[in-house]
Amino acid sequence: MFGPAFSAGLVFPHDRVPLQSENPVEVLTEEAALTPSPGEELRVEALVGEDELVAQGQPLLRLRNAPQVALVAPMAGRIASLDLKSGRRLSQLLLFHEPDGGRHLFETGNAEVDGNALRALLQSSGLWRMFRSRPFGRMPHADEAPAAIFVMAVDSRPGAPAPSLALEGREEDFSRGLAALSQLTKDRLFLCEPAGKHFGGAVPAGLSRISCGRNHPQGLAGIQIHRHRPAAPEIRVWDIEAEDVADLGALLATGLLPGTRLVSVTGSALRERRLVRCQHGADLRGLSQPVVRPGAHEILSGSALDGRPAHWLGARDRQVTVSPRETGAVKHHWFGTALRKAARHLPVIPTAALDQAMGGDMPAAALLRAIASGDEETAVRLGALSLVEEDLALADYATGARPRLSKQLRIILNRIEAEEAPA
Amino acid sequence: MTRGLWDREMVAMLLLLALMPMALTWLWFGGAEAVGRLLFVLLISGLWHVIFMLARAQPPSFAGALTGLAVAMLAPQELSLLQLVLGISFGSVMAELIFGGWGRNVLNPATVTIAFLGFGFPAAPWPDFALPVAWAAIPALALGMLLGVMSARLIAGALAVILIAWLADLPIAPVLPAFGVVLALLVTDPVTSASTRTGGWLNGALYGALVTLFAFGWGHGAPVQVAVSAALLASLAAPLLDEIAIALWTARRRRRHG
Repeated sequence: MFGPAFSAGLVFPHDRVPLQSENPVEVLTEEAALTPSPGEELRVEALVGEDELVAQGQPLLRLRNAPQVALVAPMAGRIASLDLKSGRRLSQLLLFHEPDGGRHLFETGNAEVDGNALRALLQSSGLWRMFRSRPFGRMPHADEAPAAIFVMAVDSRPGAPAPSLALEGREEDFSRGLAALSQLTKDRLFLCEPAGKHFGGAVPAGLSRISCGRNHPQGLAGIQIHRHRPAAPEIRVWDIEAEDVADLGALLATGLLPGTRLVSVTGSALRERRLVRCQHGADLRGLSQPVVRPGAHEILSGSALDGRPAHWLGARDRQVTVSPRETGAVKHHWFGTALRKAARHLPVIPTAALDQAMGGDMPAAALLRAIASGDEETAVRLGALSLVEEDLALADYATGARPRLSKQLRIILNRIEAEEAPA
Repeated sequence: MTRGLWDREMVAMLLLLALMPMALTWLWFGGAEAVGRLLFVLLISGLWHVIFMLARAQPPSFAGALTGLAVAMLAPQELSLLQLVLGISFGSVMAELIFGGWGRNVLNPATVTIAFLGFGFPAAPWPDFALPVAWAAIPALALGMLLGVMSARLIAGALAVILIAWLADLPIAPVLPAFGVVLALLVTDPVTSASTRTGGWLNGALYGALVTLFAFGWGHGAPVQVAVSAALLASLAAPLLDEIAIALWTARRRRRHG
């Protein structure tokens, strides 16, 4: 309402852990792995065998239901192991770093001007997985056509690396990637940027630019999609990080897939925070080990708000949070424990904090009440289909709600997805 | 997992903190009688909270103290102990505890208690406030807005309507102190007032309009009675106002996004 000067959202306390250096260092961990995101099911077919030497970017796995979609090697190395669960569902593909593997050269053809060729290139180069399709927040189907694509050149999560830093020196690649993306969407391409820090390079005609407020959650794709182009089962809206668009631009120009991404290692269990450029699926212990304080800690892939305990960097994550692990049980009185176990969870009280945690312009209390009570119809009417777990992480944090609202949103989304699926 | 502080009990404590200026002024001017009354109300409503904790595993809430404060300040005077016990029991059990405790209730238990006592025993006189107590409602409302536990839109809506009525020379001056005190104690309760933005404006405006209407047309209504009745009706209408606000919001979205 008042523009970016009065950005709705919550302000986080200043991070007291000092930053090692403003300039990211390049770190390739010795091990890296391809893993499915939480809730993601990847039925795969192996294209390489164990112990084989592979090049960075070489396709390693392809989806069984869409063979044109490949998962590629995050770095040059040797395949250590491929673990599949029942039904050929990927559990983990582990690689050891070996620089001799070289880099895989992709045939780009006329992908820069032909939408179908571009789609084929995205799918064969593994960049397809960097898209997230809403509703439901999964990798898009191979033949899905988006109504809009949101390119996120902003990230307001506390401690997240600035996308503008990732784009520094890569303006041309980013412009080329944006121009290519505009062939994919039949409607509109959005570029979300921090207010006052606009991308100076060339952008394709017809691009809509959105200035996002400074405070979290204004820099989340879900909040912007909810506001500017709500998703529905027949209106698929994709979002992708700006750095991945620049990767696409570089791929189109050279045929080589860039091998690193900008990741921030943060958290209160560190001596100092650091910015690194590391491979996809990097080993989180390898990234945090040089700067971690002694003592028990746990490592999350993602921010302190929406991260999950993990061993490997998640497919879309650009942040690692290392927090001290709670050790030693807190002593509770037996009556308090009994009461907590028997009682229903405490309700969430609508306050200004709740309103701000949802971006300030949606009926937050009504939406969260619908989600908490499992009322699909109202939740959909209020825009739940545009959101995924990470968009409710701040509301979870602010209100300390139990069970977590983001989990309950996922339950509703899964139910709607099952209903929408063709029988 | 880290977490913020806006859980139910913290909101209840912040509300209590916001009301402190008014509560302390009231105790200062009311003296020993006010203190005794407050303790008695807290005792009865606390008893019901303990009964529901033991029987239904409902954790008691600091919000019980909010209810107690509102009832002690606003309930009619000169009631017998039995009448008070009846009223408080009815209000906290039927309006709050059987719904599952604070946060799941539809009506403010204090509003229900006071309305029950006022209309059930009409012979009892309504309380009157020392003027400083009414002035203390201003810092209470300001604190509540600042801490984010009271809706700024609701307060602004109510004040806007009252301001218009005052500019139009309607006879609202006698009810103004009660209007402010009831606004801080009952109407701004975050659970039972409208939760949407437009709904907040409407809820506040409705409360202001009802107070004006009653002050104008209710010949023998005492100021507190007028304000409490307006609060009860406004709180009954809150879900409807939220529903209207959401319908407007979805209509606007449909127009913009198809």
